[in-house]
Amino acid sequence: MVLNRIHAALCATALLTTIPNAKLSTPKVLVGGSTLEFGVWSLKFGVGVGAAPGSIRGRVELRQPPADLDPRPNPSDLGMHAAHGATDRRRSVVYLDPAPRAAFDVREDAHARMDQRDETFVPHVLAIVAGTTVDFPNNDGTYHNVFSLSKPRSFDLGRYAAGRSKSVRFDQPGIVRVFCDIHSHMSAFIVVFSHRYFAVTDDEGRYRIDNVPPGTYTAVAWNESMPSETRRVTVGDAADADLNFSLSKKQP
Amino acid sequence: MFDGRLVFTGEAVGTLGKSDDESYFNYTDYEHNALRMMRLSFAGLWQPVDRLAFVGEIRSENFDQPEAYAAYVRVRPWRKHAFDIQAGRIPPVFGAFARRIYNSDRFLIGYPLAYQYLTSLRPDASPIIADDLLRMRARGWRSSFPLGSVDAGPGVPLISAFEWDTGVEARYLTGRTETAVSVTTGTLSNPRVADDNNTKQVSGRFALKPVTGLLVGASAARGGWLSREVPTLDGLSRYAQTTIGTDAEYSRDHWLVRGEMVWSRWRLPFAAIPAEGPSVEALATWIEGRYRITPRWYAAARGDRLGFSRITSTIPGSRPVPWEAPVVRFEAGGGYYLRRNIVAKASIQWNDRQGGRVTSRQFVTAQVAYWF
Repeated sequence: MVLNRIHAALCATALLTTIPNAKLSTPKVLVGGSTLEFGVWSLKFGVGVGAAPGSIRGRVELRQPPADLDPRPNPSDLGMHAAHGATDRRRSVVYLDPAPRAAFDVREDAHARMDQRDETFVPHVLAIVAGTTVDFPNNDGTYHNVFSLSKPRSFDLGRYAAGRSKSVRFDQPGIVRVFCDIHSHMSAFIVVFSHRYFAVTDDEGRYRIDNVPPGTYTAVAWNESMPSETRRVTVGDAADADLNFSLSKKQP
Repeated sequence: MFDGRLVFTGEAVGTLGKSDDESYFNYTDYEHNALRMMRLSFAGLWQPVDRLAFVGEIRSENFDQPEAYAAYVRVRPWRKHAFDIQAGRIPPVFGAFARRIYNSDRFLIGYPLAYQYLTSLRPDASPIIADDLLRMRARGWRSSFPLGSVDAGPGVPLISAFEWDTGVEARYLTGRTETAVSVTTGTLSNPRVADDNNTKQVSGRFALKPVTGLLVGASAARGGWLSREVPTLDGLSRYAQTTIGTDAEYSRDHWLVRGEMVWSRWRLPFAAIPAEGPSVEALATWIEGRYRITPRWYAAARGDRLGFSRITSTIPGSRPVPWEAPVVRFEAGGGYYLRRNIVAKASIQWNDRQGGRVTSRQFVTAQVAYWF
């Protein structure tokens, strides 16, 4: 944890040199709910005075709908595998890269939740701001063992039964793949951002990113089963910008 | 071409340890050493409709010609009941370890003695007197007897984890219990595709999950195990392997502990029945544990013992001695997950045997396993 924070602090300091008009405030950060006088730098950026933020909205179309994740066939089973919930692999994440200057104002200390239900992680894709703690409650009548070997955050929560929950704090931006050590078909993604300009698509593939300062940005649509797509978008003063994506397994 | 769901998986496991052509502690037959083996397996499941599935697995050891390890049809007659019937080359219902086919479910490299160690008993050859059996102590990798096949060949373990039997099984599952029974052609120690003695084995298991994380099971099996190659005065069905076992597993947080106890009895066609009776017995007990130290590292250990009943030689004044040389094995090791589906393992195994040319030996072994 300490190393992660040092790394995050170094990243944030490095970021200062690349983002114009960035100002370094008093170095303090929330660590485990307490304010410390050192650690990750809290950053403040200049935002255009008088410019009302707008939003980016649109739809991410998946040209080849991804198939559900089936368990590994296990010839040693003595019967049919218990039914499990469908994994919603249609969810995509749309985010701005790089983020607007106001993106790094606050380091969140929020909570999010990823259920284990019907041998499925719900939601299958969770997007959070760095500093968020994710709860992993077990709502099944069997053990689960949530773990990740991803570089931004590796963890192993061990086995715990229904009704119990364990939590993990994600401090470093990146994509964290989450699995269950007992059920091979259980997997999920936690996409950790250093800013808050992102959105996960709904059932219809729609998304909306609010409070975007006016300007021209690069937006990225990410889905686990297809190459990402990048597009430029301009957000006007208090205006909505429409931006649609069409993801395909074949690169254009 | 294929309607319905078609799912594949595969596994490649490379194990490298010291060669052992003296003590044969880890041989699964005369040619294969469990600690020095390259194994490739490929399994598939085709489910054309919800209540019907075809399951198969082919496997090759040391790049030998691939063989069908599993090939069966699975049917669920009633949609509302977790009652399934499987027919073909099916997984054993007895015990727990033999159904752990995936390397990822095995923490250590070596096998429990009950599922791998070759006793001197052979289904195609039999001792006539106790002395024939006692002469073969600690020679399970290549034993020979005067009755039946005259060629030397490997003996059998209590339960074979390397082959599956052929037959029909039914399983009924409730929230906390699992009940399974099977009728098969071979026996636990000698699973078969083709019948060799006109007898069937009946086996069953009942497992209970009193609380989440704890599983206890009890198993039993009985079936004629001698082949027609062994001439007997009465029916082969009298020469049965009878086995009873218990198994348990408990896991919590980063711990997992499990163990089994297996008792087996084989009736032999002795011409001169020893004082202890016409049967020989074996009792295997093992317990193993694993602790996940970090997301990538784990440590594991297993203690294992295989003991045998006593018989008395025909030599006047002899005292009863175990018909096979008892073996004690301890294995400790660990693993490192390079990726979720690639694990590197290393272990050290100590073996001690009360008989044979080599009575104790250590093995240091490394293994890399990949699955998709």
